[in-house]
Amino acid sequence: MADSPEELAKHKKLYKYVGIWLIVFSCVALALGKIPFLDFGPPGATWEDIVIGLSVSCIKASLVALIFMHLNHEKGLIYKTLLFTFLFFVSLMGLTLFALADPIKESYDTLNTLKGILNFKS
Amino acid sequence: MEIPYEVSPRRDTGLFNSKLGIWLFLASEVMLFGGLFSAYVFLRVGVIEGVDTPWPWGINVHKTFVALGFINTLVLIISSVFVVFGWIALKERKWAKFQFFMYLTVACAAIFMALKTVEYRSKLTQHHDIKLLDNSVMEGKILEQTFDVPFEGTSVEFNLVGSAPGFLPDIVGDFPTFTAEWKQYEKGEDGSSEIVSKTTEIKSASEFNSWFVKARTKATADLVKERKRYRGEIAAKEKALYNQEEAVEPQAPVVDTKAKVTAAEPFDLHSRRRQVRPIVRSDSGKDSMTYIDGCTVFGKGGDDRIKFEPHYVDMQLVPVHKQKDSMVWDVLGDSHLKDAWYKNRDSAYQEMEHYYSGKDKEIPESMLRGYYINIQSLHDKAHAPSFWSQFWTEFKAGAGIGGSKSHDDHHDDDTHDHGDHAEHAADTHDDHAEEHHDDHGHAVIMVPRDQVKFLNSHGPRNGNYYAIYFTMTALHGLHVIGGALVLLYFVVFGKPLYLKNPEHLANRVEVGGLFWHFVDLIWIFLFPLMYLL
Amino acid sequence: MSEAAAHTHGDVHDDHDHHEAPFWKQYVFSTDHKVIGIQYGFTSLLFLAFGFFLMMVMRWSIAYPDRAVPMLSDWPWFQAWLDNEGRVTGDLYNMFGAMHGTIMVFLGIVPLAFGAFGNYVTPLQIGAPDMAFPRLNMASFWCFLLGGVLMFVSFFLPSGAAKVGWTNYSPLATTTDLNFSSQFWTGQTQWLVGMVFLISSSLLGAVNFIATIINLRCRGMTWMRLPFFVWAMMVTGFLLLLAFPPLEVAAIMQLMDRLAGTSFFVPTGLNVNGIAFDAAGGGSPLLYQHLFWFLAHPEVYVLILPAIAIVSEIIPCNTRKPLWGYKSMVYAVMALGFLAFIVWAHHMYMTGMGPAVSTFFQTTTVLISVPSVILITSLLISMWGGSIRFNPPMLFATAFIPMFGIGGLTGLPLAFSLPDLHLHDTYYVIAHFHYIVAPGTIFGLFAGIYHWFPKHTGRQMNTLLGHLHFWPSLICMNGIFAPMFLQGMTGFHRRAFDGGAAYEEISTRVIAEPGTFVAGLFEKLRIVGEGQPVEMIDLNIVTSTFAWLLALAQVPFIINLFMSVYVGKKVTSDNPWDATTLEWATPTPPPHGNFLTEPVAYRGPYEYSVPGSDVDFTPQFEDDPAVVKKERSVKDKNVSADDSSKS
Repeated sequence: MADSPEELAKHKKLYKYVGIWLIVFSCVALALGKIPFLDFGPPGATWEDIVIGLSVSCIKASLVALIFMHLNHEKGLIYKTLLFTFLFFVSLMGLTLFALADPIKESYDTLNTLKGILNFKS
Repeated sequence: MEIPYEVSPRRDTGLFNSKLGIWLFLASEVMLFGGLFSAYVFLRVGVIEGVDTPWPWGINVHKTFVALGFINTLVLIISSVFVVFGWIALKERKWAKFQFFMYLTVACAAIFMALKTVEYRSKLTQHHDIKLLDNSVMEGKILEQTFDVPFEGTSVEFNLVGSAPGFLPDIVGDFPTFTAEWKQYEKGEDGSSEIVSKTTEIKSASEFNSWFVKARTKATADLVKERKRYRGEIAAKEKALYNQEEAVEPQAPVVDTKAKVTAAEPFDLHSRRRQVRPIVRSDSGKDSMTYIDGCTVFGKGGDDRIKFEPHYVDMQLVPVHKQKDSMVWDVLGDSHLKDAWYKNRDSAYQEMEHYYSGKDKEIPESMLRGYYINIQSLHDKAHAPSFWSQFWTEFKAGAGIGGSKSHDDHHDDDTHDHGDHAEHAADTHDDHAEEHHDDHGHAVIMVPRDQVKFLNSHGPRNGNYYAIYFTMTALHGLHVIGGALVLLYFVVFGKPLYLKNPEHLANRVEVGGLFWHFVDLIWIFLFPLMYLL
Repeated sequence: MSEAAAHTHGDVHDDHDHHEAPFWKQYVFSTDHKVIGIQYGFTSLLFLAFGFFLMMVMRWSIAYPDRAVPMLSDWPWFQAWLDNEGRVTGDLYNMFGAMHGTIMVFLGIVPLAFGAFGNYVTPLQIGAPDMAFPRLNMASFWCFLLGGVLMFVSFFLPSGAAKVGWTNYSPLATTTDLNFSSQFWTGQTQWLVGMVFLISSSLLGAVNFIATIINLRCRGMTWMRLPFFVWAMMVTGFLLLLAFPPLEVAAIMQLMDRLAGTSFFVPTGLNVNGIAFDAAGGGSPLLYQHLFWFLAHPEVYVLILPAIAIVSEIIPCNTRKPLWGYKSMVYAVMALGFLAFIVWAHHMYMTGMGPAVSTFFQTTTVLISVPSVILITSLLISMWGGSIRFNPPMLFATAFIPMFGIGGLTGLPLAFSLPDLHLHDTYYVIAHFHYIVAPGTIFGLFAGIYHWFPKHTGRQMNTLLGHLHFWPSLICMNGIFAPMFLQGMTGFHRRAFDGGAAYEEISTRVIAEPGTFVAGLFEKLRIVGEGQPVEMIDLNIVTSTFAWLLALAQVPFIINLFMSVYVGKKVTSDNPWDATTLEWATPTPPPHGNFLTEPVAYRGPYEYSVPGSDVDFTPQFEDDPAVVKKERSVKDKNVSADDSSKS
């Protein structure tokens, strides 16, 4: 553990900057949602907005996870655990969606579902 | 006995116990919120167009309260920074500084929860949706609490099984004096038991409950006895048949569990809508209303119309060519409202057309049916109050500041003149038309209950978006409270441990901080998903 | 070194072992993993017995749908659920069916396997003084008990307990019992609340187990020296940790559906009894099934892995041979744990999933049989050529293998979506998974009780009573479940409370003409009348009779369990089975803190009949300088990297 006073001071500075960046990104997210000029795609929340909005969130989330939660220098064991967790989370979300929109099966509701996926606004 | 590696990390894994534990716990939390996010995506993607309630746009739902969500985002981010600063202060062995930052963090949590409460209260008490039979939806506010079904009861019939009848909690005012009538078995003088009618007087809810439990227990005991007798008779019959003797036909058990209470004077009921089936009205004046648990109240049904203040109309589930003749316009009655709605709709349509003509494309059908065009204010946008004044009004209402509305600061609005609206309200409450304007001069209408398909506040019942919004934010709120309590515990009761072994306390704070950052991280995703997209 | 540092912090002020803690702290709110293990064990055995009782009533209804239930028909509580002639009604059958499943899975086997054995044995086997978070361990137990009590109490509510199957599928689960004014106090709601408590308990437990195994291994206990039991517990822990939260989500969402009136799982336009259901609609019943089975499939492995783990401790010990293929078993169990997360939708072939998704899940389902077969084969080969001691634990452990094998192999047809169309929800499925959990897991758990009983009490359990327990149990278990395969393939549905009597075409199918040997046997036993053919439905009576006999077969066990505590044969050493793992290095019974001196693992866990050794077992904890030296020179890197004390 980096416990020396200089290191701690360095950390403090880092945390301060990260905090500022997080606030900036929050403002960006809000602006993307509220200001018509920054609305990508057709008016309203469409898949373009969803992708952009969530990528801003992902940047913020990775800042929090890497810096505040020290995941930029963590032990291997924790990375492994989180890797598996992430895999299972992806499989939970991915496979349920896969079951909802089976590419082979054609039926009324599935077609609608596919439409829903392609055009997120429903 | 001492558990090893509580403070210092184990060499080969590089971790102390609680850090390993919290990361495992966070992994399970990832799956918990992961499950909820999966549900969110599954439900949103799975909306069947034209059938299900369409997924609303967060900005349309929260309107000015997007600002509240944004402030909460900032509050959580800042509190995250405070937590790491507190942890560093502890590493530097500065107790006072640590205390300062931790209290700030907890204060942030308190602010977060306070704003959340305002938001919830506003949604639950200030905003309502009424879906009419043709699936057009009016957004606005139900005035007075007419969620409940008013009924004036005189007598109630129910069965002496299960739990106490459902009408009990709905009685308004003093508990009426009831006369209860029921039947039970009693031993006659010759030792045989016979059915006897009984009556008693009940004066309070607790008396009612104790009578009910007693009578129910007796009815069950009667049933046991009767069934025993019946089985004995069946056996006797079988035996007789076997011996080729004359058989006596068994008598099936008769246990009458019906009970009836009659009130000395009619009593008022405000029945919870989910607990009752629609009132059955009869010309003779004796209406009846059945609760879902089977108890039936007889008496007189009250005025079953809803006093409503419409703000928006949502036509997404009404096909475009039927919108002009939708029943919502009849219910609203005011042609100005219709004009304003179409004016707003046209400007949204032009916006859409502008975008698509820039791309040389037709407007897709789904867009034509979507919320951007089909949810419009009944208000002329040019005269709408400013963002902050609206926000402040909403905030005050949500926080319950200021009590009742003041009628002095009417914004005189040209779109509705009083006469027009009074004419509509005249058939019900002739003289109160003046009262039925809120600060911004919205119209007030009376919606007949039989034209309503579904009505609700903007609470969790109001569709899947609201359901998942309330579930996820409430669960997140519980995490905020839990995290804040843990951090508060460290700072209030941590001094002895700090003096003994500051590193141990630093570890604990680090672990608590990890949880706190995770809570922040969830909110980072919740905010855009729930408020913006 | 770091460990030594840790000691200096705390030891200054306290030494708990010297003064006696008060009774309630020592035995009720104890933080000692062994006491908590015993608490888990007793509670779950009680729940197992209760679940078994529910099943016996159900079996009565199936076998004799037209006769009054003996003994119970006069009990007041039952009156609401019986008809005038004292027969079981469909409601009672549904309630007992749902609660039998719930209690057996969540309140019986998982707490017994994971809670009791895991708690008692794991820290001992890795040489830890206790679990990593002892107070969390206690919280986990009380959370479990609270959930269990809520489930139990729900039977006595006016609505009765939950009655839509242990899967609690929506929208049936959402709309059942809605005719009660106080929604919170209905069986369905209490099932969900109880579930939330049980899940929280399991999550706390799982965190604790994994942290303990990773961080509290003693000196020299490297990863590949962990007994297989510990590996299985770790994988089980991960299954619980990552699979349970989605079910918690499902439970919370269903709770919202019932209490707050949301419509997560309520589709648009739902009608209940002809009345439009008053909800916004737009929900998805399939979402519930996905979330439910995302847990419930891994849960199957949570049920079976501890049993395999126990068996793989007992088999090497009683064959006096090392566990065959230890490493392949470890990798197999990890693969099993991983694959368990991506097979869940094979429970949902009938929900109208498309062929692409079905194909994916069929593939993964067939894949997962590979590691299972590795585990079973390794256990089987471990016995090859050993001089086997057939004492009660070994009998149960040996019987586990073919029983689990039958259960596993009969699962293969269910893995494919086409045969599943025919077999779904029939008695075939019941027989398949009961072969895994009843003669499979429960035999494994019995084996564990017989095996570790001397460690805790210092006395052996009676061998004669053990035999009296084992053989009738084995016969009855097969008598119960084997006929179910036949019935299931004919199409008997599991939810028919009259045992299929209403479905004449299926139930009257003849399996033996009059005059044959089988028909004669059935005639003699008075199951069919004279000169009557034996029909499919007559097997119900066979099955039910074996079920009641099975209850009798547990009597010797109960006697044995309580009697042996006081009059069992005293063990002469701390290691009565001549076993090799670390739990046998502790005094009998192990004190609070477990080990008298700091344990060290010098070698792998299954060093039986080492060539050149004069005894047929070389325990992990036995300090043999020659062996240590030899190992150092060979695996120097390994030892120093993993050994925390060498710094």
